[in-house]
Parts: sequence; C-alpha cells; structure tokens
Amino acid sequence: MQARQKFRTISICLLFVIQALFLVAIFVENTHSYIVLAFIGLLSLLILYSYLRSPIHHHKHEYESIKIAVWVPIGAIASYYFNQIFGLGPVLGAALTGTLASFIPNINKNSAYLPHLPAAIYCGAFVGMSNAQVAHGFSFILAASIFTAIFLIVSKSLLNGVGGKLGTLAFLGVSLTYLLLYLFK
Amino acid sequence: METFILYLVGVIASTATYYLNTTLNQGAVRSSALLTLVVAGFLHFFPKSVSPYLAQYIPPIFIGASFIGMVSKNQLSTYFGLALAGIIFTTILLNTSKFFTGYGGALGTSACIALLVVLSIPYFKSPRKMTVGFLQLRKTILKKPRKVSKRRVDLFK
Repeated sequence: MQARQKFRTISICLLFVIQALFLVAIFVENTHSYIVLAFIGLLSLLILYSYLRSPIHHHKHEYESIKIAVWVPIGAIASYYFNQIFGLGPVLGAALTGTLASFIPNINKNSAYLPHLPAAIYCGAFVGMSNAQVAHGFSFILAASIFTAIFLIVSKSLLNGVGGKLGTLAFLGVSLTYLLLYLFK
Repeated sequence: METFILYLVGVIASTATYYLNTTLNQGAVRSSALLTLVVAGFLHFFPKSVSPYLAQYIPPIFIGASFIGMVSKNQLSTYFGLALAGIIFTTILLNTSKFFTGYGGALGTSACIALLVVLSIPYFKSPRKMTVGFLQLRKTILKKPRKVSKRRVDLFK
C-alpha cells in the first residue's frame, strides 16, 4: 500500500515538474516581454493550485493493464511512419492514427478490452509526432513509447478526465529518452 | 487579423471536439482525431487556400485545442470554460519555447496546462466536483432577480 502511495506521489511530482519545465522554457526565452512573463507566472501559480486543491486525481491509486499499454508503441510507430516515411506531417500522421484507432472497438462491441485501445494508441501517436531532429529513427520512437507506456500504467488514477493527459505522458517519455541519450551517448 | 483567426481556430477546435465527444457520444479519441483529420487533411492537400502563416499554424493549434475538448464532462461542463482554455492554449502555443520544438507531446502538455488553469477557477468546475460552498455562491450569482408581483407591490403601498 505504501509503495502505491510513493508511486502516486512520484508520478504527480513528475507530471507537475515536466509542465513547470515547459513553462520555464517559455519564461526564459521571453524575458524581453513583461506581458508574457506575467502571463507565464500566473499560469504557473494556477496550475500549482490545481495540482494541490482541484479534484483532478482519484484518491485510490490504480495501475493500467499492461495488455492495454503495449498498444502505445504500436501507435507511436504507426504515427511516426505516417509522419516521416509517408511525409504526411506530424498532425495529419497522429490524426490518421487516432481516427483508425477509434474504430477498433467497432470490431467487437461486446468486448471489454477493445474500448480501452484507442486512448493507448492515440497516446503513442503523440510520441510519433516528434520530428527527425529529436527522434533519430524508429529505435528512439520505440524507446520513448516504452517509457510513455510505463507512465501510462502508473498514472491511471491521475489527471482523470483531463484533456492533454496523454500528450503530457508522451512529452514525458520523449523528454526522458532524449535526456538519457544526451547523458549516455 | 491572422492572429485573431488562430485564436478563433483554438476556440472552435476545443468546443467542437467537446460537442462531438459529449453530445454526439463519439468518444474522446474519435472526436479529436476525426476533426483534426478533416482540417489538417484539407490544408495538406490545399495549402494555398490560406496564407503560409495560417497554413503553418492552423493544424497544430487545431489538434492541440482539440485535446482540450477531450475533457470529461465531470471535470468541465461549460462551453465558456472550454473557449477560455482554447484561448490560453493558443497564447501558449504562439509564445512556445524553441527549446522544445519537435518534441512529441508538447501540444498535449500545452493543452493540459491550459485546462488545469481553467479548472483552478472554481466557477468553471463541473457542479459534481464543486464543494457545497461554491455551489451556493454560484447559485447566488446566477440567480435571476424575481419579478415582484403586482399584489405584493400593492401591499407595500
């Protein structure tokens, strides 16, 4: 029970840190504009308030099934393929992957498993939106999507029903992979 | 004018996705992906239909704002809140850091930040997520002033 609580705390901290880092990067690059600085400062305070006070997480911590999370790398590879190999671009590549994935539950409407797949595949599709300068090939996408799948498993009870959660997890996976490559290459 | 159009795209994407998701029951993924497929597909095959600036920015703003519309109605149930989140998202995207350019998931992170900002304002929270105190306050604010009946006026005279 304590291990679950620790995972929950670490996961919430990771989600907040990655979003704060994203805002800090904007803050650092816009030091010439006081309006943008004030705007970013205000956003940081409000998201901190949301993390601390808003009921965006379930009280009981649960894990996502591995059977569902394995679809994250499949979505990532498909999206990256559409994006880079077919030359459709990141937005169209992810949208095409998501649209195809959204029809998977129609294969068997009585299945309890299939309705969970579109979200996992769409989450992977965001990893595949990375451009060639960040993602150096299929191996990078595969590694980033495996990290994203792990984050998807541990964050089942977090940011419930909040749009952008899947994208944040993908961003966390891509950033972590990029950081590890930078440190150990 | 072009910046105004981009803000409009942000607002339309978030509210249209939410409408498709909750009212037409198409599910969050299909609502976001299908609408984006139509818009981004059109601009991919007819890029000269708008200016190069709009052709560059409309697809990422549309898909990012559509992530906002994937929100559950238990968290946010007002179209005004969704529109505000769309505006905040577009502002973040137009000032986004070059450091994270090309990182997959950056649009989703911006959308999540925009939504969390709106959710931090108690007025926009779904009634199911509100405390009794905030519900009473919202009721008081939204309550329309009652018409004073003629009979009662007469009594006061």
